[in-house]
Amino acid sequence: MSFTIDADIAVIGAGPAGLTAALVAAKGGARVTVLDEYPEPGGQFYKQLPAEFTVPDRTRLDRDYTKGDALLAQVKAAGVTLSPETLVWGSFEAGTLAVMRRGEGGTVRAGKIIVASGAYERPGVFPGWDLPGVMTPGGAQTLVKNQNIVPGKRIVLAGSGPFLLPVARTLIVAGAAPVGIYETTHPLAWAKHALRLWGHWDRVGEALAYRRTLAAAKVPVHFRHVVVRAEGRESLERVVIAQCDGEGRAIPGTERTEAADTLCVGYGFIPAVQTTRMLGCEHRYNRKTGGWVPVHGADMETSIPGVFVAGEVAGIGGAYAAMAEGTLAALSALRQLGVAVTTSAVTSALQERTHRRAFAALVGDLFTVQAGVYDAVTDDTLVCRCEEVTAGEVRACAQPWGAHVNFVKGATRCGMGYCQGRICGSTVEELLTRKLGLPPGSVDGFRPRTPLKPVRVGDMAGLASDDR
Amino acid sequence: MSMSGSSDIQPGERITLTVDGVEIAAHLGQTLAAALLANGQRILRHTRRAGKPRGLYCAMGVCYDCVMTVNGNPGVRACMTKVEAGMQVVSPVQFQPYARPA
Repeated sequence: MSFTIDADIAVIGAGPAGLTAALVAAKGGARVTVLDEYPEPGGQFYKQLPAEFTVPDRTRLDRDYTKGDALLAQVKAAGVTLSPETLVWGSFEAGTLAVMRRGEGGTVRAGKIIVASGAYERPGVFPGWDLPGVMTPGGAQTLVKNQNIVPGKRIVLAGSGPFLLPVARTLIVAGAAPVGIYETTHPLAWAKHALRLWGHWDRVGEALAYRRTLAAAKVPVHFRHVVVRAEGRESLERVVIAQCDGEGRAIPGTERTEAADTLCVGYGFIPAVQTTRMLGCEHRYNRKTGGWVPVHGADMETSIPGVFVAGEVAGIGGAYAAMAEGTLAALSALRQLGVAVTTSAVTSALQERTHRRAFAALVGDLFTVQAGVYDAVTDDTLVCRCEEVTAGEVRACAQPWGAHVNFVKGATRCGMGYCQGRICGSTVEELLTRKLGLPPGSVDGFRPRTPLKPVRVGDMAGLASDDR
Repeated sequence: MSMSGSSDIQPGERITLTVDGVEIAAHLGQTLAAALLANGQRILRHTRRAGKPRGLYCAMGVCYDCVMTVNGNPGVRACMTKVEAGMQVVSPVQFQPYARPA
């Protein structure tokens, strides 16, 4: 059993960037298919409820649920084909993608490809981060918004970045207010950059609204704190937290213990570049936009002609920048397909992108993970959760002649498990560069291998036998 | 324990599935991970080398730490798999040949 999808433009990812790109491309007359791994479109930002759940009165829902409705309705009305539960796992010739949909292999042939694969969270790594009960802030957000279930009873939020605020709000609305928020940065850092907030009043308003929600729910916010370790026998029981210096390094003697059954730690986001790496796009390191990012111009085209990026995969910038870039990528792809594109459409999308990226740059300057946070990674701390490799084993791979991620893989199996280094990759880069005394980005990220995520050999075999 | 969020959202039809030989209740539309959490089960597997407990980590299909054996298929993500009536789930345990001596 196998299937084939032909499209003028294939969009990978059904979040804000991908849906916007699909909408603009379809309005321009292109045949568009959106490939997305999840059952419901919307990505992590416009998280939908499962189709099996019922909501007697949609107006009573929290506003987060209705935000994506209008965009999704437009996308469907424009004639976009949505292909949910579809994993892009390979690409064996230019312009084709190997996909897997509910155990059925397929081939997508598309003239242009827009990669809007989003991001995942930069994990907080410390002794005990593998205990059940320790999770990412986004994981907690997903449990509440998609499954309507709270992750625990005593929840601690920690890490750094503005994303902790909407997660806290989600938990408060669901009746599971966090017992505390521990943020590594210092609020005075904002003072230096206050002028850069000019013009971004909608974002400032959002931040103030979040602070009001936290204050009303009496959730204490502790700045300049970092998680030192998580403790518990079979699952999380306690979190040890310390004050930290301006580099995110724990200050000895300031440790204190907070009882908790759930700890959500995240240090912002990492672009999900597995697909663009697989397609052969050139990547460059930019720590303030999340790490390794595909090289692209203002037209969003990568180093591979006909392959475009939009949104978080092009560097962390938030949903509004993602939508502007979705528009730009679609307009560029349309132009290449011979569709007349007005200059004013491009100009207004460019202006919106510049405006939103300026705010993202401010967030990057303030909240990019601080190097000292990685001091909490003791040699016996697990780094690779899949293959159970410790920090000491990874550090031993940094030799006087340098370090290479493929050597780490070969020597330790770190990054060779099911997740293909998505979770351990950023930590491996940090540990190696710090050990060698080199700047971040001096050691390449993991190169993903086909299949990008595990697929069953039998399902792949079905595809191969049809080709014969 | 009550873990549910908003009462304005109703999950799908109530069904049962079997986890490690024990029948548990769940609702259609729930992921396996959420159904287990609602039943108070946070440990989804034990690692194959050190035998350490693991639970839900990213909840979005990236980390593969919640993998369980579902209807005989190993390596299935509990966070991405919706429950079905009569589903047979096994929680992976330490791979015995690599067990460390006590």
